[in-house]
Amino acid sequence: MGFFDQFLRDMRQVVFRNSEQNAIPSMDGALSPNDKLDQCTPIGDPLPGLDDVIATPDGAVYASAGRRVYRLSGAGFSERAVVAEFDGDAGALALHPDGRLLVCVAGRGLAAVAQGGSAPRYLAAAGGRPLVGLTGVAAASDGVIYMTEGSVGRGSDAWMRDLMEKKKSGRILRCDSALESAIVLRDGLAWPNGLMVEAGGDAILYTEAWTHSVLRAQRQGAGIGASQPLARNLVGYPARIHPAGGSDLYLAFFGVRTHLIEFVLREDDFRDDMMRTVKPEYWLGPALSSQHDCLEPMQIGSIKALGIQKPWAPPRSYGLLVRMNAEGEIVESLHSRADGAYHGITAACSTPQGLVIASKGAGRLLLRGEERQ
Amino acid sequence: MSMTTYDSFGARARRFSPRLVLSELMMKQWFEPVIPFFVMIALWIAFSVVIRDYSSSENILSLLRLFAEFGFVALAMAFCLITGGIDLSVGAIFAVGNFSALFFLLVMEWPAGLAILATLAIGGAVGAMNGLLIGYLKARPFLTTLVTLIILRATVNLLNTHYATSFATNSTDSNVWDFLGSGNLFGLPVNAATLLIVLLIGHVFLSRSRYGWHLTAIGASRKAARHAGIRVNFMLFATYVLSGVLCAAGGVFYAARQTSTDSTTGVGWEFQALTAVVLGGVSLAGGKGTVWRAMIGALIVFSLTNGLVRSGVPGYVTSAIIGVLLLAAVGIDVKWSKNRGKVIQKTYVNPAYFELSPPPSVKSGDASPYAQNDRLIHAEAIGLDQVEGPEDVILDRQDRVYGSTRDGNIIRFSGPDLDQCEIFAHIGGRPLGMQFDQDENLIVAVAGMGVYGVKPDKTVYKITDETNRTWYKLNDDSRLRMADDLDIAPDGKIYFSDCTTRYEMTTNTLDILEARPNGRLVCYDPATKTTSTVINHFYFPNGICISHDGKSVLIASTSLCKIFRYWLEGPRKGQTEVLIDQLPGNPDNINRASDGTYWLALVGIRTPTFDLAMRKPDFRRRMVKEVPIDEWLAPGMNHGCVLKFTEDGRTLESFWDPTGVSHSTLTSMREHKGYLYLGGLENNRIGRVKLTGVDESWSGYEAYWGAKRRDRS
Repeated sequence: MGFFDQFLRDMRQVVFRNSEQNAIPSMDGALSPNDKLDQCTPIGDPLPGLDDVIATPDGAVYASAGRRVYRLSGAGFSERAVVAEFDGDAGALALHPDGRLLVCVAGRGLAAVAQGGSAPRYLAAAGGRPLVGLTGVAAASDGVIYMTEGSVGRGSDAWMRDLMEKKKSGRILRCDSALESAIVLRDGLAWPNGLMVEAGGDAILYTEAWTHSVLRAQRQGAGIGASQPLARNLVGYPARIHPAGGSDLYLAFFGVRTHLIEFVLREDDFRDDMMRTVKPEYWLGPALSSQHDCLEPMQIGSIKALGIQKPWAPPRSYGLLVRMNAEGEIVESLHSRADGAYHGITAACSTPQGLVIASKGAGRLLLRGEERQ
Repeated sequence: MSMTTYDSFGARARRFSPRLVLSELMMKQWFEPVIPFFVMIALWIAFSVVIRDYSSSENILSLLRLFAEFGFVALAMAFCLITGGIDLSVGAIFAVGNFSALFFLLVMEWPAGLAILATLAIGGAVGAMNGLLIGYLKARPFLTTLVTLIILRATVNLLNTHYATSFATNSTDSNVWDFLGSGNLFGLPVNAATLLIVLLIGHVFLSRSRYGWHLTAIGASRKAARHAGIRVNFMLFATYVLSGVLCAAGGVFYAARQTSTDSTTGVGWEFQALTAVVLGGVSLAGGKGTVWRAMIGALIVFSLTNGLVRSGVPGYVTSAIIGVLLLAAVGIDVKWSKNRGKVIQKTYVNPAYFELSPPPSVKSGDASPYAQNDRLIHAEAIGLDQVEGPEDVILDRQDRVYGSTRDGNIIRFSGPDLDQCEIFAHIGGRPLGMQFDQDENLIVAVAGMGVYGVKPDKTVYKITDETNRTWYKLNDDSRLRMADDLDIAPDGKIYFSDCTTRYEMTTNTLDILEARPNGRLVCYDPATKTTSTVINHFYFPNGICISHDGKSVLIASTSLCKIFRYWLEGPRKGQTEVLIDQLPGNPDNINRASDGTYWLALVGIRTPTFDLAMRKPDFRRRMVKEVPIDEWLAPGMNHGCVLKFTEDGRTLESFWDPTGVSHSTLTSMREHKGYLYLGGLENNRIGRVKLTGVDESWSGYEAYWGAKRRDRS
């Protein structure tokens, strides 16, 4: 990046104050840091590759982890059963009104699993492009299915490269309940990473990770209206959204923004070289969890002092789940800070036993009992 | 001497940074009037081109004769401004001086010498009136001197009309008077020569004498000066007397040159002088300025006025130009004095490019001697939570453990289980590397202070806190900024690293990020009690160890991730060579091992992203500017690693705490009687691990001064 590019960049920042670069909001008010995630009870053994969790009407939960989808039920969700197994990693989940389980399968597309164990039906392509990396799925009460795809032609595990390339090629898709007549509703999005149908069924809400926002689009016949931001310039990179009862929703963040990452995102030359010469696990960017590997990037504030890792140290990975109301205001937040264990939160759903949270970074499902709330 | 073995000419050329030179220049007081200085030169050149014979020596001499009187007036104004006041009556006092000199000489017919003294006395008396009002009665300088200006001007005009005919008809044949008017001294017009002498005295007075400092102090903050015990009232009084005398001196020379007086003598000079002095960089707010700045400004205003008149520009246009100049100068003065610090701050850090060779693997299970293991995780803890950051550890002959901690203490553990903790000595600063000399004094490198010693009876004494200054460096580097580690040669000379001359202990991260050779190897010779720099321009020298044979010094360069050897004697005496080229991390202290090898601590592990950042100086510069300190990129420091290497630079094995559970930021280790003791810059303990297969009677003191020496074989 030459001097002139830097100058232009600085000028853009002055002229277009509200474009892509915004100051990271500080975590205060309802976002004040706490240790609520670390106080949750982990459910059973670790689930490596844990990704999404949804509640069923009968009080159980479905969780996708690795190539499998589990059903967890019973007191404390101690009973665990494999519902389905695929030839790619299982990601986002949704329940169709007719009882089928919708699963986003990496490299394959959207699978609809009927009860009774018959072979799943697949939606493999839309708009002439295969659905390699679906990131979210939701079904409306009339049976219409909506999906988000992080980036066309890119697996959902390659999100880091997508962020570093500053790609904007995500899509929102729609198909009918028979997984047919798929159409592209929106494209050119910055990694849409989860969606849900609003409580009244009039609109869909979706998250866009690289723009740190939650957007709302009115359903209009087979299509959707213009997207309106519900919440923008959030503190982290949003993952899935699931209903939280009433008109509230649970919004999970798989990572939080830091000054250094925002800075690196402005430094094209450094990012290019980093992508070329450094292994992805050592890139400077958000991470789902820290492996405490000494080759990972490190920041001054993270240096242990007197044997203690400061909770407020700049995080390599972070755990954050928020409850948001219909106006897009954050009402409650649950954190696992730099010294915490449950980072990389990707989803949460409410059940009669309490809130169930998926920490992809730790590969653990967490239960936050009602008595604690 | 520089690191010629490492530093190619190309590397140095690439490292040269105009921004760095500029930022260091800007920190210099003398650099402040640089803009007016160049304006002055530019004006001179411009008029030399426009006006014929402008730069001829006759013209220059005649201009100097014209200028000198104004120079006196400008100097008077400068002194008043520096005290935080102003003297608007300078022009009027000048006119009074001119009149008085002529009056005493032509009307009273006094001898020239007496007339001059009397004139100066009158100037002083008028100044004393100002001074009384301003200094003792606390009147506002602006109004007071404005009133003086009006009264004096009216008086001079009255007297002028009364005595004009006497002046015109009388004349004097005094040689002294003629000499003053048209003579030369040292080849210069006599008034200019006198001005030069006065300037020299004024400079010494203002910058080197107690009273000069008092003046500046009063200008900077009157209240603080009073609290500091400065006689503010008297000093202000004296300043206005001085101002009066200087103006009268100008008047004497003017009278000698013109031998006439009229109502326009010195009219408007107060504003010309004010413009000149502010233009030259004497602050209107007081407390800042030199006589030279005043002269630079005066020369600008004078040559502008004179040159424009000679180029045929009407007088009122010239006045307007001077007015605009005053406005600009005042504006720039306000902005500059407010923002200079910020400009320096923004340009001080100047990262340089450098490329490290690819690091050897540290992956656990690899065949590399650097492969991670967990040999330090279960190290026994000494003084857990009783020590704060023992950067270095050392043991004495009684097996007591010493640690240098961040609270400025040397802490000592004794007893059979090393559980008795006491503060051995409080030095202050940030004690870092330690070593025992032959008399069992503990010699300590103290960041921010220098090299200190602690006697066995706990008395602290200073060994050295400065070295010779590098003559060509803008930053004064004679002070030891951050003495980091030291070792003592068999002849008693103390070799120590001063790891940065541009930063401090608290900001040494910036030095690593800057990646410039700002450090040095320094030697203190107890025989002559002198300190001298052995290697200047070294990349963050940290650990220092005298080799087992006493013939060379090993130096760890933290930012280069290399170990160097500097020969003290033998055929390669005075040369520096690379001993270990490729370390997987940032080396810290080096110490001797019992088997004739060396221990080395790695305080940081190189991460791929940090290495990449080192190749991107602009990235680092912007990072320092745009990202808060806590979020800057660093090498991996939450891991502990100790290495063992041989005399020829081969690494044998490593001891790791890969997760930093017990030992993160591990900076030092000492072998003592079969144990390895560990210290960490930010840790809350001293650790020790049992070594197997080593000489269990070996101790550091014996290896340096006792039976285990290897330099006498």
